[in-house]
Amino acid sequence: MGSDLSRQGTLLLVDDEEAITSVLSRFFERAGFAVVVAADGEQGLAAHDAYHPDVVVADVRMPVMDGREMVRQMRARGAWTPVILLTRLGESADRAVALDEGADDYLNKPCDPQELLSRVRALLRRQVVGRQPLTTVTVLACDGLRVDRITREVTLDGQEVALTPRAWLLLDYLVTRPGELHTREELLTAVWGFDFPTSTRSVDARVSELRQALRGYAVRIETVPGVGYRFNGDVQVGAQ
Amino acid sequence: MTGIPTTGAVKRAAVMAVQVGPGLLGLVVGLALLLGDDDRTVQLQAPLWVCLATVGLVVSALVVTVVRDSRLRSAQAAAVAGAVRTTREEADVRARAEHRTFVSRLDHELKNPVMAIRTAAGVMRTGEVDEQLIGIVDSQSARIALLVADLRKLSDLETAEIAAAPVALEPLIDDVVTVMRDEIRTRGLPGRAIEVQLPRIPWSVPDVSGDADLLFLAVYNLLANAVKYSAPGASIIVRAMEGSGGVTLEIADTGQGIPADEVDAVWDELQRGSNARGLPGSGLGLPLVRTIVERHGGRVQLLSREGRGTSVRLWLPFGPAASRPAVPTMELQVVSPAERASRA
Repeated sequence: MGSDLSRQGTLLLVDDEEAITSVLSRFFERAGFAVVVAADGEQGLAAHDAYHPDVVVADVRMPVMDGREMVRQMRARGAWTPVILLTRLGESADRAVALDEGADDYLNKPCDPQELLSRVRALLRRQVVGRQPLTTVTVLACDGLRVDRITREVTLDGQEVALTPRAWLLLDYLVTRPGELHTREELLTAVWGFDFPTSTRSVDARVSELRQALRGYAVRIETVPGVGYRFNGDVQVGAQ
Repeated sequence: MTGIPTTGAVKRAAVMAVQVGPGLLGLVVGLALLLGDDDRTVQLQAPLWVCLATVGLVVSALVVTVVRDSRLRSAQAAAVAGAVRTTREEADVRARAEHRTFVSRLDHELKNPVMAIRTAAGVMRTGEVDEQLIGIVDSQSARIALLVADLRKLSDLETAEIAAAPVALEPLIDDVVTVMRDEIRTRGLPGRAIEVQLPRIPWSVPDVSGDADLLFLAVYNLLANAVKYSAPGASIIVRAMEGSGGVTLEIADTGQGIPADEVDAVWDELQRGSNARGLPGSGLGLPLVRTIVERHGGRVQLLSREGRGTSVRLWLPFGPAASRPAVPTMELQVVSPAERASRA
């Protein structure tokens, strides 16, 4: 299986629940990953240093050191390995908190393993080696568009743009994932944090609201007929 | 009736006037005499016992007034505290009872899928693994996952920020009905016709205020229930009516209905009708609808007759007239040749 491993890369799985790690590691191995397992945040950090994984999947609540603290420490050491945190009921995946932690994606536990796998693959596709992932950057810039992800301030050529909270979340999701194609279902779930029965018009209305606010930059949000939306542009780390 | 004080306030003012009035009157008259250079004096001659008795009486009267007043205040405070305590205790008792009911329902909802999974695992351990057993593990764990996901949604919605944008109900209802008709087709549930009745004359239903995604979810859940609890040949209808201060949405069906003694509990978490056991569901659909509607400042109502059907009504307040959606404007966009090339 050596060739398979090199194709998909190494995945570090951090969870204190052995029932989860034993089954998930088999699942990821089947999908072609080399899997390293750690039982808490401290072991996770050690394993990260020893194995240099391509991606990390970690539970939030763990003994010794929880998942949030582990990601914070990883980022503090300058390690930008993409991380997916698995949250539980009552652990709000609040965007402001999430940004502070530096995780790249969140998934509610329990989740469908196939969904987890597709998120892992999306993260790996997005990652540029050695560069800080846009999902963990606080200020983003794309030509005249500037998005401060802490204060939620959006400016266009220096002029402030007023956005509703949901339109802001949508813009945030799009600009942190430039060039990626998103389905309407994915966008709706991203701005709400949970699944919705799908109505194409609901997301279309949000996008048109966003496009109206972005005026001339609206063309950057591309409609892909029959599929969804994509943000086109060279998004960079902006000045604080 | 503004500006007219209550009886209690009048009484308090009268008591104060009697208490303070004589003193004030004396002060004012004395001051006037002093300013008018009136230097007359009064010399009072009385036996010593009369003087002592008078001073004693005045002091006693003062003490009695002060003590009585403070006693009255502490009695009032005690009464208020007692009332608060009773209310709090009653709320505690109610909360404990609700919690018990919730836990027992959760236990009920979990034990069947858990038992099915454990039994399947037990059979598989004997070496017998087949599609049916794998299917049981898959479907029953999915059932638990749905329950947990819905609990999470409910908990999120109780605290989520609710937008106050104008929401047009006609396109929203059209969307929900389109999605549901698709589902009826793909899930093979023929014979359930959905009719939509929206007023056009003299005008259409006005916008309500809120979040279109959440209102979509509420109407979707109700329509999904109407479809789920209806047999082929049943009629389902979605109506909207303008009323005072808001719009009433009604989703009615000629489905199996809810037993009379269970109608009041349908909005409770994890409560499922005794005749709904064979059908999938987490028992959190209606609480989700109620939470969404109440967070929008609205109200919910359910009428049902077993064997006849169900009607659920949602009342939602009008949106602010000033925030009606603006007419979309077109703008010229200047595109550089490089940008045009990159887009191509």
